[in-house]
Amino acid sequence: MRRNLIRFGLAGVLGVGLLGAAAVVARPDAPTPVAQTATQQPVDVLAQRIARAQQQLRAVPGDWPGWAALGAAYLEQARITADPGLYPKAEEAALRSLRLRPDGNSDGLVVLGALANARHDFAAARDRAREALAANDHDAGAYGVLADALTQLGDAPGATAAVQRMLDLRPGLAAYARASYDLELRGQVADAETLMRQALDNAVDPHDVAFCQAQLGDLAFGRGDLAAAEAAYTAALAADPSAFGAQHGMARIGAVRGDLEGYGRLVARMPATSTLVEYATLLRAAGRQAESDQQIELAAAAEGLFAANGGADGLAAAELALAQGRPEDAVTAARAEWGRRQHPDVADMLAWSLHSAGRDAEALPYARRAIAGGSRAAVYAYHLGMIELGLGQPEAARASLARALDTNPHFSPVDAPLARRALAGLRTSGGNR
Amino acid sequence: MNRYAALVGALVAGALLWPAAPAQAHPLGKFSVNQYAGLTLRADLVEVSAVVDAAELPTLQDRSRADGDGDGVLQDAELERYAEAECGRLADGFAVTAGGQRLAWSVSSPVYTLTSGTGGLETSRLECELAAPARLDGIAEVRADNGYRADRVGWREITATGDGVRLSSSTVPVESVTGRLRAYPQDLLTSALDVRTATVQVGGDGTPGAVAGRPLDMPAGPGLLAAAQERVEAALGGRLTPVVVGLAFLLAVLLGAGHAVLPGHGKTVMAAYFAGRRGRIRDALAVGGAVTFAHTGAVLVVGLLLSTSTALAGERVLTVLGVASGVLVVLVGAGMLITARRPHTHTHSHDHTHSHGHGHGHGGHPHTHGPGGHAHHHDHGHHHHEPSDSPSEPGKASGPGEANGPGEADGPGEARKQGKANGSSEASGTEEASGPGKASGSGRADNSGALAGSGGRGGRLRRRLGLAGIGLAGGLVPSPSALVVLLGAIGLGRAGLGVALVVAYGLGMAATLTAVGLLLVVAQNRLSHLITARGWAGRLSRLGGRAAAGAPTATAALVVVVGLGIGLRALA
Repeated sequence: MRRNLIRFGLAGVLGVGLLGAAAVVARPDAPTPVAQTATQQPVDVLAQRIARAQQQLRAVPGDWPGWAALGAAYLEQARITADPGLYPKAEEAALRSLRLRPDGNSDGLVVLGALANARHDFAAARDRAREALAANDHDAGAYGVLADALTQLGDAPGATAAVQRMLDLRPGLAAYARASYDLELRGQVADAETLMRQALDNAVDPHDVAFCQAQLGDLAFGRGDLAAAEAAYTAALAADPSAFGAQHGMARIGAVRGDLEGYGRLVARMPATSTLVEYATLLRAAGRQAESDQQIELAAAAEGLFAANGGADGLAAAELALAQGRPEDAVTAARAEWGRRQHPDVADMLAWSLHSAGRDAEALPYARRAIAGGSRAAVYAYHLGMIELGLGQPEAARASLARALDTNPHFSPVDAPLARRALAGLRTSGGNR
Repeated sequence: MNRYAALVGALVAGALLWPAAPAQAHPLGKFSVNQYAGLTLRADLVEVSAVVDAAELPTLQDRSRADGDGDGVLQDAELERYAEAECGRLADGFAVTAGGQRLAWSVSSPVYTLTSGTGGLETSRLECELAAPARLDGIAEVRADNGYRADRVGWREITATGDGVRLSSSTVPVESVTGRLRAYPQDLLTSALDVRTATVQVGGDGTPGAVAGRPLDMPAGPGLLAAAQERVEAALGGRLTPVVVGLAFLLAVLLGAGHAVLPGHGKTVMAAYFAGRRGRIRDALAVGGAVTFAHTGAVLVVGLLLSTSTALAGERVLTVLGVASGVLVVLVGAGMLITARRPHTHTHSHDHTHSHGHGHGHGGHPHTHGPGGHAHHHDHGHHHHEPSDSPSEPGKASGPGEANGPGEADGPGEARKQGKANGSSEASGTEEASGPGKASGSGRADNSGALAGSGGRGGRLRRRLGLAGIGLAGGLVPSPSALVVLLGAIGLGRAGLGVALVVAYGLGMAATLTAVGLLLVVAQNRLSHLITARGWAGRLSRLGGRAAAGAPTATAALVVVVGLGIGLRALA
């Protein structure tokens, strides 16, 4: 008996020693950077994560959390590269995870929910998030998806509660960023910036740094601080030269200064409907009508492709219709979107469409609704002011227009001058009275 | 204007919002500009066959440039002119150097064709042939760097072949995986290629013809094995009935037994060892037990290491373990040599040594556990209404995981802990497995051969160490399939089952190895009986005596050689 114990003790010690030595020797084998991309970009953490997940799933095809994680990684890559071509892959990976584990698989549901958000199907996203929470009520990611969906659907209190829950469960970049947006929608812009800086402090990956910096840039732009915005966008592009949000921000700053080249590069790289419409509007204001028409044609094609694939984005459709001078169609599209969700953006778009169609009386409640939540977006105030002006309410119009220009004197290279002119006209007439 | 909508999309995924397409317009998205460039290297010439496959929107964007007269219709002449101009731009952007010299392309046969796509739009395909003289008849390095439309998303692929020159190395494959952008892999586990550079060595030593770079998506093992594994995974992932568990257990035992039949696992060493020093039945049992113990332990430890650390490459661990097992065998052999060289008396002669061909290569399964590497941090009590109160510890967020709220797979983490807990309870099981060794005495009680000379406790201890060493060496290198089963079970959150299956696998291995050991012992006994019974002793006595004196040394040397072989094979 004792001999046996000694025998196995010796064998055990020897085995453990050898394995330990093996582990120590093998340990320094750090992940080798992908040689080809490393020369062009900083090490792409996400790409490595995806490659590793793919390798793992090739070896273990039944790893359902692995499939969900791969789907999430594809979604994140879609976000970073702004390439929606990855959505179907993300969806398939999530569905695979759910097929392998239909019950209690909150990971898979969260990916589906996030995907639905990205595709603007916010009601579906909300439902997926609730299913995920039914399976696991401590899933911070599910609260994130729920918060995004509820925000877009117009349920501000519900969204705030979800964000709060996410902050409690897992304070970190994703939670801070969402909380920041929640505050911004309620007009607490300074707090929103503080939180976004906190998110930035938590960001390690260059893509995340670029994302937070771009958001900080947008916030600075929103309060008219072009210098701060440019600095933030520059920092974002230093972290990730291909960051779409920062490129967009730079293009907008360029447009304020009368330089549309940034927009040209932006749409050349990523011809999305709303970017194309923005560019077209700017081109037309600059008197470059032919080029503007070209961009509108592209935007119509992009929108057509979107619709051909079963998509429904009333906002983009309304924007396009307005740019094409079809205000009634814009009203129809915006109203349809309003039926789906009651976000301030949609209220604003519907109000502006109605205004463009000459229906200011109908537009006013929606324009007021847009700012009812406390949002201080200059565009909302400008739209409200123009509608009030159309309704013959000079006092209210003056206040609204002044607020728009106070908030951000550069809110739009096209609209800001109009606001200024209208305001000047109001002051003159007001002085006469 | 649309920033707010975009923002929320961006927080989760996709700054741009595009719906799912049941009928995909372009397999890689409607924004993509996909490129392929096939290099052919000749002794005096470098040729590039380039294809640009543009999806609907980029095609429409290019249309205004192609439409020279602005009438909205693309005439043939306009298409030709555009193809020529665009191939010129491609040639400008596609930089190739041979021996440090930038090549100056001449462009031929540019073709631009439009095909109808989704939504009444068109996709386009541009084809260009580039050629430039280059001296590649000696040793040279060719570098390619594709800078054409570098900002566009899309598939980017480069291949290289040699025609009349030998490519000694290449960073890119010979064959296009898309058939020159005709069919894009739809595999979920394949990312779009983004190959923008290539480096090819021409001439010098190397395999003739072209060398394949990296095949795109080779499965981790033979297809048959992978398929079988998938089925096992599916079975494990489903509902667990006693029948399923029983069958899985049985299968694991059989697989283990079968695995041990393959070359390797110290059977040669065991044979040599027994031949050198008269094996006994209990020795065979002990070796079998030690193998099971070592193999199960190794699989569990390596499995845990691999599933917790993504920095660890499975291949490398296997290599190191292979070397360790070689070293172990060499040590055992050295120990035998030392005892064999000591003065002693011999009564038996052995002249049969088994030699098994050592051709057992471990398929090289790299097992790294998925997307892990996410740290968890729980500092509760944050409230976003008082953001300034929130502490922000540097490095708290693990970038990629946090950034994207969804899909941080917490599951495996729990499972791993579970696996660890189960791992510790496993050792007792193996001890029992080799228990029977005590019971079987088998009559041949003499502490034979070399050990008789040294005798005593030290000798017995050394003998045991030797046996343990052989067993460890046989089981130290985990079989990839057992590892996969364990990792799979961990991934499925069924670590306990995985550990049980690995133990069963080890039991199967032990059964085979013990059987082989017993066979060896029996064969040895028969042989020595034969020699004494037939009275060959007289004829052989002088020869045999000399052989017998040399046998322990020879077998010890054989053990050392085999050990070196194991270690070197692992390194190779």
